[in-house]
Amino acid sequence: MENKTSLKIRNLVKYFHEPETFQVLKGVSFEVKKGEFLSIVGKSGSGKSTLLYVLSTMDTDYEGTLQINGDLLTGKTQNQLAAFRNEHIGFVFQFHYLLPEFSCLQNVMLPALKLGKYSTKEIEHKAYESLRLLDIEGQALKSANKLSGGQQQRVAIARALINNPSIIMTDEPTGNLDSKNTEAVLDIFRGLAKENGQTIICVTHDKDFANNTDRTIEMADGLII
Amino acid sequence: MAKSVNIQIASVHLTSKFWQTFVAIMGVTFGVSMYIFMNSFMNGVNKTQDDLAFSALSHIRIYNQDNNHSYNPIESEYDNSQTVFNIHNRKSIQYTSGIKNSYGIVSLVEKQEEVVAVARQINFSVFFRSGSKKINGRVSGIELEQEDKLFKSSEIVTQGNWNNLQTHKSGIIIGKLLAEDLGLQVNSSINVLTSDGVSRNYIIVGIFESSLKDIDKTKAYLNITAARQLIGENSDYASDILINIKDRDNTVPVVKKLGLLIPFQIESWQEANEQLVAGASLRNVIAIAVSFTILLVAGFGIYNIMNMTINEKIKEIAILKATGFSGKDIKSIFLSQAGAIGLLGGFLGVILGYLISLLINQIPFNVASLETLPIYFRVQDFVLAVVFGVLTTLIAGYLPSRKAAKVDPVTIIRG
Ligand SMILES: Nc1ncnc2c1ncn2[C@@H]1O[C@H](COP(=O)(O)OP(=O)(O)OP(=O)(O)O)[C@@H](O)[C@H]1O
Ligand SMILES: [Mg+2]
Repeated sequence: MENKTSLKIRNLVKYFHEPETFQVLKGVSFEVKKGEFLSIVGKSGSGKSTLLYVLSTMDTDYEGTLQINGDLLTGKTQNQLAAFRNEHIGFVFQFHYLLPEFSCLQNVMLPALKLGKYSTKEIEHKAYESLRLLDIEGQALKSANKLSGGQQQRVAIARALINNPSIIMTDEPTGNLDSKNTEAVLDIFRGLAKENGQTIICVTHDKDFANNTDRTIEMADGLII
Repeated sequence: MAKSVNIQIASVHLTSKFWQTFVAIMGVTFGVSMYIFMNSFMNGVNKTQDDLAFSALSHIRIYNQDNNHSYNPIESEYDNSQTVFNIHNRKSIQYTSGIKNSYGIVSLVEKQEEVVAVARQINFSVFFRSGSKKINGRVSGIELEQEDKLFKSSEIVTQGNWNNLQTHKSGIIIGKLLAEDLGLQVNSSINVLTSDGVSRNYIIVGIFESSLKDIDKTKAYLNITAARQLIGENSDYASDILINIKDRDNTVPVVKKLGLLIPFQIESWQEANEQLVAGASLRNVIAIAVSFTILLVAGFGIYNIMNMTINEKIKEIAILKATGFSGKDIKSIFLSQAGAIGLLGGFLGVILGYLISLLINQIPFNVASLETLPIYFRVQDFVLAVVFGVLTTLIAGYLPSRKAAKVDPVTIIRG
């Protein structure tokens, strides 16, 4: 179990064509084991977010291959990838996007309702658990746009956990959090990796945070160094 | 399960933008109610017109006029021979018009299952005379019971009684305006002069008032036997045989069938009154054009609102897709919003259309037989109005929702 490959990329190359053609990723390859807590660091503009969007299957405009849990995802259709993300990937965006017209609870529940594996009652129960884990269940029924940045970020993390995804990817998950909450998130991720065998990939600027992960990859100018 | 999430999301979208939703619904409501009102009004007008027309018009008429008979003895006896013919002393014989053996025809017609009533008539022009006054008019010799069945003629007799014609051998029923013009009342005597110069006196046993002034001014009814005597025809003679059938819009097959059995001219009311048919169709075209224009405008409104909503929500669409909702889910979310707007608008439109029609039906309009503006409801108009309303919104919602389905989440989220 320990040595199973969770995610594997080979020779990822990505260009942006606007405003001019520009190579962001210049052949990135690595492997992440199941249950591993990986951090990606690097200077601003080095291509960390870009890489994470490719890993998350949302960005399909790249060269090279992406495998998750042994499935080759390169070349699949958008709808197949959406279904795959729904079940296997939890994602926290750099700018913690929530649906503003929905309550925090609904925001957390939606991916699970979409997956449709459990009854609404079970999902609600699980959503409350996730929110409690991030110490935000007091805001559950508030509409998402009435929360502070840090609170929204924690709701977004709770949403990423709801379907028990095999991989959780986060882009600056603690960017808006104080040290106490940062510590808490770190603990949660470590626990999920250890106890549930969930793979965690975090892009971060926070050196302390990175030092507390199993492995750190550093990027510069579209390459791993 | 997944379907119900989509509907849940759709309903949050609809309720969180109340005014936008309200305006969209009102657009459909207005279109649907106008469709119902326009069609009910046009139906009312058509029905009034028809009721007027069919008070004196049968669905099918059988008559005999000799000018349509052409007889070529050579062609009918030897169709394609090389023989040389020599015809001496060829004459055009005057065929008499009218139907001599009307009883046989009537019993043939009565056997057809579509037929509900048959009446024989003898119609001819006469002068009505009283004292020094002399008025040109027409006499209808009729079979009392059958005539009443076709046209409810007994109901328009305002003085005297329709059935008096049965009992009084020399009775006549004349139009109200004709009676006024001649200065006559019930029980007065009136002289009738035919084109053959035969003159006879009758006693007025009734006066009728129809909704057609022309008829009230010129027409008189005689019992058919009295009419036969007056013009010197045999006891089986009729000039017209009038037929009403079950479905008056469906005369063509009946006319065709009768044509095989009966050697006289057979004419449907549509052929005889093309202007009636044309008027009704034109009014229907107007009703449909107006209501579709309104629905089209409502459709554009909905298209705009949906497009705006989707532009506003593009970030949220991206998030939904990022967390696993497929393009199909997104499309169904926005299409169910359109569908809900259509159904709600349609429902309110039915109520509003019904109320508007009832209101219009109260407006006084004292022309001909009318008292108020006519409204006639048909279930099919209500059903079609809702169907068109929902269809319009779905079509209007389709393009924007397809656009939403195609949103590429990563370009939006990357910012
Ligand atoms: N949509 C885009 N079009 C063109 N260039 C882009 C686009 N998005 C990012 N880039 C460029 O690609 C490079 C990598 O961007 P990326 O967002 O991956 O950096 P990052 O490592 O996540 O930086 P940060 O730490 O500031 O988030 C940058 O030079 C950026 O300007
Ligand atoms: Mg970044």
